[in-house]
Amino acid sequence: MKPLLKVENIKKIYGKSSAAYTALENISFEIHEGEFVGIMGPSGAGKSTLLNMLATIDSPTEGKIYMRDVSIHDMRGVDLTDFRRNNLGFIFQDYNLLDSLTVKENILLPMAIAKIPAKQINISVMRIAKVFGIEDLLAKYPYQISGGQKQRTAAARALVTEPALILADEPTGALDSKSATDLLESLSELNENNHSTIMLVTHDAYAASFCNRIIFIKDGTLSKEIHRGDLTRKAFFQEIMDVLATIGGEVDDVI
Amino acid sequence: MTLFSLARKNIARNLSQYFLYIASMVFSIIIYFTFVTLKYSDTVAERTASSQKLDSLMSGAAVILIFFVAIFIAYSNSFFMKKRKKEVALYALLGVRNRQIGFMLFFENLLLGLVSLVVGILLGFLCSKGFMTILIYLMGYDVISPFTFSGTAALNTSTVFLIIFLVTSFQGYRLIYQFKLIDLFHASKKGEAVPKPSKGVAILGIMLIVIGYWLAMQDLFTSKVWEKVGFLMTALIILTTVIVGTFLLFHSVTGFVLALIKKNEKWLWKGLHLMTISQLLYRIRGNARTLTVIAVLSATTVTAGGAVYGLYYNTNDQVLTADPNTFMYRQTDAKYDKKVSAILPETKYDEAIEALSVTFNAKELNDLDGSGKRIYTVIDEKTYNKLAAIQNKEVLRLKEDHAVILDVGYDERFSPDYKGKTITTKNNTALTFQDVKTQTVLNAGTAGITVVVSNHTFEALQKDWESLTFRVIGVDKASVDLSGEMAKEIPEKGLFSSAPQDFQLALESVGSLLFIGSFLGLVFLAATGSIIYFKVLTEAEEDKSQYNMLHKMGVSSKEMRKSIASQVVVIFFVPLAAGLCHSVVALKAFSGLLMMDLAKPVLIWMVAYTVIYGLYYILTVASYNCIITQNNKTEG
Repeated sequence: MKPLLKVENIKKIYGKSSAAYTALENISFEIHEGEFVGIMGPSGAGKSTLLNMLATIDSPTEGKIYMRDVSIHDMRGVDLTDFRRNNLGFIFQDYNLLDSLTVKENILLPMAIAKIPAKQINISVMRIAKVFGIEDLLAKYPYQISGGQKQRTAAARALVTEPALILADEPTGALDSKSATDLLESLSELNENNHSTIMLVTHDAYAASFCNRIIFIKDGTLSKEIHRGDLTRKAFFQEIMDVLATIGGEVDDVI
Repeated sequence: MTLFSLARKNIARNLSQYFLYIASMVFSIIIYFTFVTLKYSDTVAERTASSQKLDSLMSGAAVILIFFVAIFIAYSNSFFMKKRKKEVALYALLGVRNRQIGFMLFFENLLLGLVSLVVGILLGFLCSKGFMTILIYLMGYDVISPFTFSGTAALNTSTVFLIIFLVTSFQGYRLIYQFKLIDLFHASKKGEAVPKPSKGVAILGIMLIVIGYWLAMQDLFTSKVWEKVGFLMTALIILTTVIVGTFLLFHSVTGFVLALIKKNEKWLWKGLHLMTISQLLYRIRGNARTLTVIAVLSATTVTAGGAVYGLYYNTNDQVLTADPNTFMYRQTDAKYDKKVSAILPETKYDEAIEALSVTFNAKELNDLDGSGKRIYTVIDEKTYNKLAAIQNKEVLRLKEDHAVILDVGYDERFSPDYKGKTITTKNNTALTFQDVKTQTVLNAGTAGITVVVSNHTFEALQKDWESLTFRVIGVDKASVDLSGEMAKEIPEKGLFSSAPQDFQLALESVGSLLFIGSFLGLVFLAATGSIIYFKVLTEAEEDKSQYNMLHKMGVSSKEMRKSIASQVVVIFFVPLAAGLCHSVVALKAFSGLLMMDLAKPVLIWMVAYTVIYGLYYILTVASYNCIITQNNKTEG
């Protein structure tokens, strides 16, 4: 089976000549359709740089990224925005909901941007709202709901267009553990039932334990890759902790 | 590090942030200094015969300016302070004492004020020369303005602005005491409740405006309402109803309309329409006060400017109506005529007109002084038609025993109702007015109100009444100097009237009015534009993360630009439309009062205003886009 995403020998250098700083080097991996992949590593390891490149917001100094055999950084202008709109869904750490829109409107925004007919929009919104358990909140405004509900709204927004790849950047970073668990379980369910492909960037081992596969980055290079296989989530969590201990990253540096 | 050097370094490092604030202060100072320079200038005072009037006019305008400038600076100061709350909070968190922070802000503000004062006075000095030239030109003078620095003006400006700066600096000092630390950190992050539009309030708003309009459209002299309520009270009621109505309109009606649009899902859920409409709905009600201020400012500027410009524009017409001949006087002695002829250049025409001065018994015209006697200058139909042909006026056909009266001051509210009325002479020659004309062929200044009678009647009257000979002269491009020379030769009883002289007199008073009107108009316009500019850019700063999200979501920058442009267009042009609408009503009332047709000059004025206003719009949208694009680039 062909991979959905293929990262080939990525290198990213910031600055010029003497002040140059290598953020990423020799990064290659593949993500197949229906995978739930975690990217882990300590602060400054290059997680965000990698994510920005996958999001087509930044481009690598060397190497290529292919999505379904298309080199995404060779696209320009309108093609690029269209690509992003049609293939990628984002979940941000700080939700980024529009205060002026209701929960429902926030969720349907990407569909409206893609100019999908109103009837279709209504059906999709109801379906995704059910998955995240926010059907009762649809008429509310962001300032009326809690942080966890906001993040579920943001996740619903990222998933409503059924993008090929969902990029989640520390989605649980600002949530309490109960809300974080709710969100991660919903994502996990979507991955199992709908075969959504999700890439989760985090440095929280608990969040990472919901993934099927975890790629560790340290000092800009790939350091290790582990698969969950048939392990229970708890056992997998333990394995992650062990890896983190061996590669020497902080276990949790949220604060 | 002393507080003063900290304040100084703050300014040096964040110059770009401070730029807008400094620019608006410098602008205010330039305007004020220029104006005061003109006020104290000898050139203006010397050249005007009506300098006393001009001086008091200027003083009044200066007071309005101070008032306005103070509000404007307070506004930009609060905008500027809002941006810096976080920085202030950080100092407090790091353990700088409140008193020290307060002093730092105080000194910083004062320093900024002093710098802008020096820059403003220097630039204002350069500008005053240009404005002086304009003023002198508008007043129809022909002199070169001198290039002098006015110490009195500089002193006056410094005093006024130092007081303003002290007050704003003190406000900066109080900032740290006014808020809790947490508020300072989240100054720009407060969630506003999305408004629920109310039908009742919307209807009330519209009704208030309609009442105000209706009152304004009533004729000041004949209306029962004005008479009963009193002039001042009615004016106040009009102002209040219109302003409150405008506020409610922005507060509710716009929200109502937008909420209606929001129901149309098919249209709304397409592209960024959803975002555009929701942002507007979210913003417009919280900003109802600002929008009302803008609408009222625009209305004031356009009305005042339009009225003054209309007067200026009509000066020529009015002079031409009153003085259809370039020069005219009553001939009394041939030797004066010879002297006048010697001075005269080539003339278009130079005629001697036979006329009579007749006292009529005019009881039917319900005379105010009760005597019923009126003295009119009488000419015959033949003479009228001859002059009418020269002056490109319509030919007159008189019925026997009828007459036409030429009264340039005719106003149906005050003048007698001539038509159909009959006047008689002492030998019972009766004349019935078949028509009244507001145009004349003889200069009103020399001949007064003129009655045209048939050739036949004229002959009959000639026997009993004193006959007069008028000399009417038409000259192309006659100068005031020529008029002055002629005036010297003609004795007082010749009742010399001259179009150039009258035009000059009218220009002197209306020209200075126009100058002050447009000057204040310019200031108001610039301030209005800047207020919206500040406001919209503050919103841009708040919204940039939202646009960044849209960028990541795959919205092209073209679509974003479109959404931004249409959001800003509403903020700019909804209050402008309301303001223009108000001023149309006000000017309609004004032109009714003066019986003048102001349509053309007012239209010119409105277009000019809208064009400059439009430039502000373009600038604002460009800056907004710049903020968003830059943020999208740096944030990724």
